[in-house]
Amino acid sequence: MINRRTLISLVTAATVLGSTGIAFAADKPYIAFICKGFQHQFWQAVKSGTEQAAKKFNVDVTFEGPDGEGAVDRQLDMLSAALAKHPAAIAIAAIDSQATVPLLQRAKDAGIKVIAFDSGVASDIPLTTASTDNLASAALAADKMAEKIGGEGKIAIVSFDQTSQTGIERRDGFVNQIKAKYPKIKIVDIQYGGGDHLQSAEITKTMLLAHPDLKGIFGTNEGAAIGVAIGKKEAHSNIVVIGYDSGAEQIADVKDGTIAGAITQNPVGIGFESVKAAVDAVNGKSLPKHIDTGFYWYDKTNIDDPKIAADLYN
Amino acid sequence: MSELTTIMSELVTMTSIDKSFPGVHALKTARFDLRAGEVHALMGENGAGKSTLMKILAGVYRLDRGEVRVSGKPVNIQTPRQAQELGITIIHQELSLMRHLTAAQNIFIGREPRKMRGLLVDEKMLNARTSEIFASMHLKLDPRAPVDSLTIAKQQMVEIAKALSLKSRVLIMDEPTAALNELEINELFAIIARLKASGVGVVYISHKMDEIKRIADRVTVMRDGEYVNTVPADTTPIDAIISMMVGRILGNEQVSIPDLSAAPMALEVKGLRRGKAIRGVSFGVRKGEILGLAGLMGAGRTEVARAIFGADPLDAGEILVDGKPVRIGAPKDAVQAGIGYLSEDRKHFGLITAMDVRNNVAMASLERFAGRAGVLNEDGMRDAARRFIHQLAIKTPSDQQETRLLSGGNQQKVVIAKWLLRECPILIFDEPTRGIDVGAKAEIYKLLNALASQGRAIIVISSELPEVLRLSHRIAVMCEGRLTGVLPGGASQEDFMRLATQRPSAVSEAA
Amino acid sequence: MNLVAEVDRQRILDRVKSSGAYHRLLAFSGLLVLMIGFSLASPNFLQTANVINILQATSVNGVLAVAATIVIISGGIDLSVGTLMTFCSVMAGVFLTYWGLPIFVGVPLAIVVGTCCGTVTGLLIAKLKIPPFIATLGMMLIYRGMSLAICAAKPIYFNSTPGFTDISTGTIVGAVIPEIPVPNGVLILFLVSMLVAFVLGRTILGRFIFAMGSNEEALRLSGVNSDQWKIAVYSLAGAVCGVAGILIASRINSAQPSIGQGYELDAIAAVVIGGTSLSGGRGTMLGTMIGALIISVVANGLRILSVPQEWQIVVTGTIIIVAVYTDILRHRATV
Repeated sequence: MINRRTLISLVTAATVLGSTGIAFAADKPYIAFICKGFQHQFWQAVKSGTEQAAKKFNVDVTFEGPDGEGAVDRQLDMLSAALAKHPAAIAIAAIDSQATVPLLQRAKDAGIKVIAFDSGVASDIPLTTASTDNLASAALAADKMAEKIGGEGKIAIVSFDQTSQTGIERRDGFVNQIKAKYPKIKIVDIQYGGGDHLQSAEITKTMLLAHPDLKGIFGTNEGAAIGVAIGKKEAHSNIVVIGYDSGAEQIADVKDGTIAGAITQNPVGIGFESVKAAVDAVNGKSLPKHIDTGFYWYDKTNIDDPKIAADLYN
Repeated sequence: MSELTTIMSELVTMTSIDKSFPGVHALKTARFDLRAGEVHALMGENGAGKSTLMKILAGVYRLDRGEVRVSGKPVNIQTPRQAQELGITIIHQELSLMRHLTAAQNIFIGREPRKMRGLLVDEKMLNARTSEIFASMHLKLDPRAPVDSLTIAKQQMVEIAKALSLKSRVLIMDEPTAALNELEINELFAIIARLKASGVGVVYISHKMDEIKRIADRVTVMRDGEYVNTVPADTTPIDAIISMMVGRILGNEQVSIPDLSAAPMALEVKGLRRGKAIRGVSFGVRKGEILGLAGLMGAGRTEVARAIFGADPLDAGEILVDGKPVRIGAPKDAVQAGIGYLSEDRKHFGLITAMDVRNNVAMASLERFAGRAGVLNEDGMRDAARRFIHQLAIKTPSDQQETRLLSGGNQQKVVIAKWLLRECPILIFDEPTRGIDVGAKAEIYKLLNALASQGRAIIVISSELPEVLRLSHRIAVMCEGRLTGVLPGGASQEDFMRLATQRPSAVSEAA
Repeated sequence: MNLVAEVDRQRILDRVKSSGAYHRLLAFSGLLVLMIGFSLASPNFLQTANVINILQATSVNGVLAVAATIVIISGGIDLSVGTLMTFCSVMAGVFLTYWGLPIFVGVPLAIVVGTCCGTVTGLLIAKLKIPPFIATLGMMLIYRGMSLAICAAKPIYFNSTPGFTDISTGTIVGAVIPEIPVPNGVLILFLVSMLVAFVLGRTILGRFIFAMGSNEEALRLSGVNSDQWKIAVYSLAGAVCGVAGILIASRINSAQPSIGQGYELDAIAAVVIGGTSLSGGRGTMLGTMIGALIISVVANGLRILSVPQEWQIVVTGTIIIVAVYTDILRHRATV
C-alpha cells in the first residue's frame, strides 16, 4: 500500500519535472548563469537583464545562486551541475574566486566559454569580466558623504561582507578616498551585517549609542543600506545615510530623505552585457578584458530622471 | 429475570474476536458481554488478552476479525473517539491526564464551555459543572486543583468524573487499585457501586481475588487469548477461578523460614535521611535472607530502595556492604557494590522495551562483553541470554524478541536475568509481582526463594500484604518515612497494621 | 510443512517490518525512482561526470548527517554540526597555513579539535543538564563567532600546503580505474559511514547510544554511567564534524569562516529522510546515506532540468514531509 502510494507520487513528480526539461530542450545556444545569492533584488535585476538579452540574441539562459550568500561549496555544486548540461557558455559571479578555478578550468577544457560578472575571478580563464568599478563607485560615495556632512566629523561603515572581493573593494574604496581627501573626517567604526536588514539595523543602533556625535553611515549594499535606514528611524536619529544599490525600499528611503542618496550600479546592464559578451564569445569574437557596466549617484533631486530611473530596480 | 430482559439489557457483545501483533496471536475467537448495571470482572494471566480485548472495545486497537455490538447494533470502532461517542470509556493503568492542567480543565478538555461568542473559555461554568459531577460522586475535590497536586487515587477519580461527563454507559477499568491504599480502594468501590446503580456497565480488570469477590457480579476468565468461561462471582470459589485462569490447580505452600542468625550481614543501612520521605531508617539484611519492606502507600518504602540504589540522593546516612561502608552517589556505584534494583515500573525504569531480550539481559554487564576497541561479543551475549531464558523459563520466541512484546511476568524475568548476569549478591525487588498474573506470581515467588537459598540477600517491597507476609523471612515495617518495627516471618496482618499505622508521637514531631 | 513455512514467512516479514529495513527499502526505492525519473527526463543526468557531481555534492552533507545521526539516535539533537565543521576547517587553516605544520599533523589535529568541542557540548548536556537543543544552539553561535574571530573574518587559503586539496578532490579510485574518477571526498564519506555503522552496530558505545535514545532512565538504573557515555556520543559526533571540516576546506581550498550555518538543517533532513526517529532509539547509517543521496539527487536533478530555483526548494521540502509521512504510516501499520 504505502509502497505503491509513494511510488505513484514520486513518479508523478518526476513526470511533471521531466516535461519542464523536455520543453526546454531546443537548438538555441544555452548560457548558464551562476550568481552569489538568489533572493536579493540586485540579483533579480541582473536576472531580468539576462532575460532581456536572451530574447534579443535568441539564446536560452538559466540563473541560479545559493540560498545564503557565502555558501562557497553550494555554488560549486551548482557550477558542476551546470557543466553537466554542456552549455555553450557559463557566466559566474564567484563567491570565492580561488575555489571556482578548477571547475572553470574543466569548463574551458570542454570548450565552454567562461564569462565573469559582478566580481572577478583570480585567473585568466574568464574571457572578460562585466562588473561595476567598486573602488571608484565607493570613492564617489565618500565624496558625497563628505559633502553632506560639511567636510568634517565622525562617520562609520556598515558593510555586508568582509570576505568577498566586492565587499572589500567598496569598503576600501570609501576608506581610501576619505583618508586621502578629507583629513577632518574620521571613520570610527566598521561593522559587518552579512547583508541582513535586521542585523545591519541592530549594528546601526549600537553605533549610534556608542558614538552619539556620529554624523554619517555608509551602508555598502542594498541589505546594509536598508538596515542602516531602519536603525536610523528606530533610533530617531538624523544622521546622514549613504546607500549603495537600489530596490523598492531604498528608493522610498531616498525619496523621503532617510537615505541622503546612494550609488546605483547598473545590474540590468550587468546581466545584459554578460549575455552579450557570452554570445560574442560563442560566435568567436574577441572581447575586452574588462567591461565596465557603470555606476551613478542618485538622490531626491535626480531620482525621477529617466536616465537614472532606468538603472534603479524595485 | 426473564430471558427477554437479559437480552434487552445487553450493553456490549463481542464475539469471535481475533487480533494478531507481530509475533503474537493475542486473541483467538475471544468473546465477552456486558449488561447495563453490572460489574463484570475480566480475569486471566498476563498475556491472556484481557487488556487487548478491552483496548479493541475502546478503539485503541482495531480487530482483525470478529463482531462488536453495542446495544444490539453492530458497530465498527476504529478510533478512541468513536468509542467515546458510543459511550465507551477506558481508564488505563497508566493514567492519561495532563499534569499541569486543573481537574476541571482535564475533564472538559476539547469540550470547554465557551462565552463571548465562543472566543473565551467560561472557566466559571467549567468549574461549576465539574463541581456538580464531583458532588454526584460524593467526592470532595476542588475542580481548580492542578492534577499533579493530586494523589493517584484522586487522579483516578478525575478520570471517572471525565467518563461521567461524557455520559459513558460502559466504563472499562484496567487494574484501578494497583496504586491505591485500603481507604482509597473503599472510596473507589463506593463510587463503582453508585455507577452500577445508575445503570452503567463496568468492566473490571484485576488480579486481586478479594476485590473481585467484593464488587463483581460476573467473572469472565480468559487464557492464552481465548475465552474460558463466564461464572457468577458470589457463588464461584476463588480456587475454581484461579484454576480456570492457569489451567491447573496451584499449591499454596507456606515457605519455611531458615535460621540465618549465623549468616553474615550483606547490607546494612544506618540513619538514612532524605527530606520528608525518609526520616532516619536503619536496618540490615543477611546473606540468604528475604527481608520484606512493608508499609502503607506513601510510607517511604520505594524512596528507601531508590536511595540505597543511588537513584535519588541522600541527605544523610551510611550504607555498608559486607560490613564495609560504601559511598553511593549514583546507580553505577550501587551496582559496583553489588546491589541490583528491580523497579516497580518495569517499562519505564527496568527495561529498554524497544530492545530485544538479549540486549536487555546484558545491559548491566555490557562492559564484560566488550572486547578490544569496545567491540561487542554478540555470541557471548546470545549464550548468556539463552542460558537465562532456559533457567528462568522466560516465554519468548527467541532472544531477539523485542521486550515490549513480552507479557508482564516474562518482562520481570528479563529484568531479574539482567541482575543475575551482573552477579549482584544484593537484590532489591520493588513490587515484583505488580501487573503479573497469579500463575506467574507463584513462579516469581519460587524464584525469589531459590535466589535467597543460593546466598543472595533480597529485599522485597510490595503493597500486597499477604505477599509480603508469606514471602519474607523478616518484615521491616515503615510509616511516614520511619521504621516502626521489624516483624518475624509469618506474622499476622494485625501485627503489621499496628506498626504500619504507628504515627510518631506529638513529642517527636515537635523535636 | 506448509503451515511451518507460512509461519516462518510471517515471522521474517514481521522482523523486516519492525527493524528499519522496511523504511530503508522504501527510501531506497524512492531514490531509484528519482534517479530513473531524472535520467528519463534528461540525457545529461546519468552521465558518469554528473553522477560523480552528485556524489561529491553529498560528501560534506553526508558526513555531517553521520554526525547528526549519532546524536539523534541517542535521543539528542545537534544544531552545531555545521558551524563546528566551519570551526574545524578554520583551525585546519591555522595549523597548516598560519603555523605551517605538516599536513599529516595539522589534519588530525583539526579532527582532535572537533572531538574536544564535542566533548564540551557533551559536558554541557550530561553534567550541567542543559537540554541538547539549547546547548548545541549556543555552541553553534560560539563556533561561528570564534571562526570569524580567529581568522579575522578573512578566508584562510591552503596554497602553502601542497596536496591539501587532494584530500577531497583528488582521486585514488581514478588512479586505479580511470573510467570512474570518484573523488577522495566520496571515499572518505564511505569510510566514515562504514566506521560509524560499525560503532553503532557492534560496539558497546553503539549499544548504549540506542539504549540511551530508547530509555535513558532505565539505562542509568542498570548501573551504567550514562553521563560518561553521553559525553562520548557528542565527542564522536564532534570528531566526525572535524572530518567534514577537512573535507569542505580541502574542496574549496580555503577555510571560509562565514559558511556552515544552515548546513545542520540539511544534515538533519538527510537523517530524517533516512528513517531515523527524531525521538531517538531508532535509525541506521545506511538510511542516512540514502537520505543524504536523495537530497543531492533532487538538487542536482532539478538543476539539470533547469527547474527554477524557487521550485527546487519547494520540492526538497515536500520530499522531507513525504519521507516522514511514510515512516508514520509504517508505524501505524505495525502497532
